[in-house]
Amino acid sequence: MYYFNEKEIVVPGQLLADDPKKSGPGTYVLDGKVYAAHAGLPKLRDGVVVVIPLKGPYKPEAGDWIVGVVTDVKPSSIEVDLGGYMTAVLKYPERQGPPEGLTVGDVIYARVKSSNIRGVFLESEEMKKLTNGIIISMTPARIPRLIGRKGSMIALLKKETGCNFWVGRNGLIVVSGKSSEGESAAISAIRVVEKEAHSQGLTDRVAALLKSAKGRNHDDREQGDKAN
Amino acid sequence: MMTESKEIKLIDEEGRRVDGRKPDELRPIRIEAGVLEKSDGSAYIEVGRTKIFAAVFGPREVHPKHLELPDRAVLNCRYHMASFSVDERKPLGMTRREIELSKVLREALETVVFLEEFPRTMIDVFVEVIQADGGTRTAGITAASLALADAGIPMSDLIAATAVGKVAGTLVLDINDIEDKYGEADMPVAMTPRRNSIVLLQLNGRMTSEELKKALEMASQGIKKIYQLQIEALKKRYSVVSLEE
Repeated sequence: MYYFNEKEIVVPGQLLADDPKKSGPGTYVLDGKVYAAHAGLPKLRDGVVVVIPLKGPYKPEAGDWIVGVVTDVKPSSIEVDLGGYMTAVLKYPERQGPPEGLTVGDVIYARVKSSNIRGVFLESEEMKKLTNGIIISMTPARIPRLIGRKGSMIALLKKETGCNFWVGRNGLIVVSGKSSEGESAAISAIRVVEKEAHSQGLTDRVAALLKSAKGRNHDDREQGDKAN
Repeated sequence: MMTESKEIKLIDEEGRRVDGRKPDELRPIRIEAGVLEKSDGSAYIEVGRTKIFAAVFGPREVHPKHLELPDRAVLNCRYHMASFSVDERKPLGMTRREIELSKVLREALETVVFLEEFPRTMIDVFVEVIQADGGTRTAGITAASLALADAGIPMSDLIAATAVGKVAGTLVLDINDIEDKYGEADMPVAMTPRRNSIVLLQLNGRMTSEELKKALEMASQGIKKIYQLQIEALKKRYSVVSLEE
């Protein structure tokens, strides 16, 4: 038995289901019943009840890809800032030196190896140092929307702007493209996704926005040519 | 003021209170969530002439570092009254009363927030009283819990609070400043409305055990009404997000 409507926002403490086995992310169990742990949109996903947050802090989980900034290099580990409130640790063998010659201030794209009471640890094999691009931040809760279903949104952005994207679950994104027009179009599209994350037909609107941005750039160039 | 106090009739012949309310009537309440741009979560509450902002920051890095806990987040709470919030200018800085109320508010909020989800971090809650007319701690905690929910911090329930007082021998709900000053008792109560558990209970003055029971019942009725307003504010806040076109 479920006690929610998928279109209606739930508040913390709201009863969602009777069966404690149905408790998914964003819910908690008390006395055999499932309640919402934060405000958001309730969904039945893979047989469990989840509450999709509309806003909120990032909780690292093993397997998440993140974008971080190196804040400290120690003899056998590197500290990585995950957007202001959390530091992750990347361990490496001492005799090899820091991977890819990382120093303080470098931006990396890496995978979370484990996250528990001992801290957040990153996978050192799959780490990538990002050498150029623009780093921007958005609400971590809306990153899934930016990626889209099976990566559809990010694929669209890639196609339309010609930029490369490294999207971190922690809310940091690196955009790197050949032209500054492409990059600024990509950033404005990301801002639209962040603002309108939970509205209908978002993909179409983003596509239209990118098309018009492209057209505008094109027109500008033509006019510039004529003036010359 | 002292000569005036003897003339003040806290309950008139018709059973109405100084501001014309019935004994079990709340003051007009306005609650809003997400009012401050720079904070992670915020709320504003108006209870009669009492006006309070609450802002939440975090989870973020613990400062000073030695307060960090390895297994859960640290909840830091600051209740503060603006200098201009009371009749006579309040000197700057935290008074003894404000430090105590910060602690009381923190202990109440700690019971609902899932602090163990964010080890080694700190959640800051700021409760700023802009205008005070009695019931600031209860209104403050109501706003603070809403600000936490607005910040998306996991919690088991919201907290709503109100005070019950005894003036001229009658129990009255949601007492204001005059009733607090010249009444016989003041009892702030904070509850988690869904499970009806009391997270804050103080009593200043005297009540018989029957009166206390009745006062708790009155408070719980008032809290239910405040809770509905909290839910409304939270849903309104998020429906703006989801309907933005």
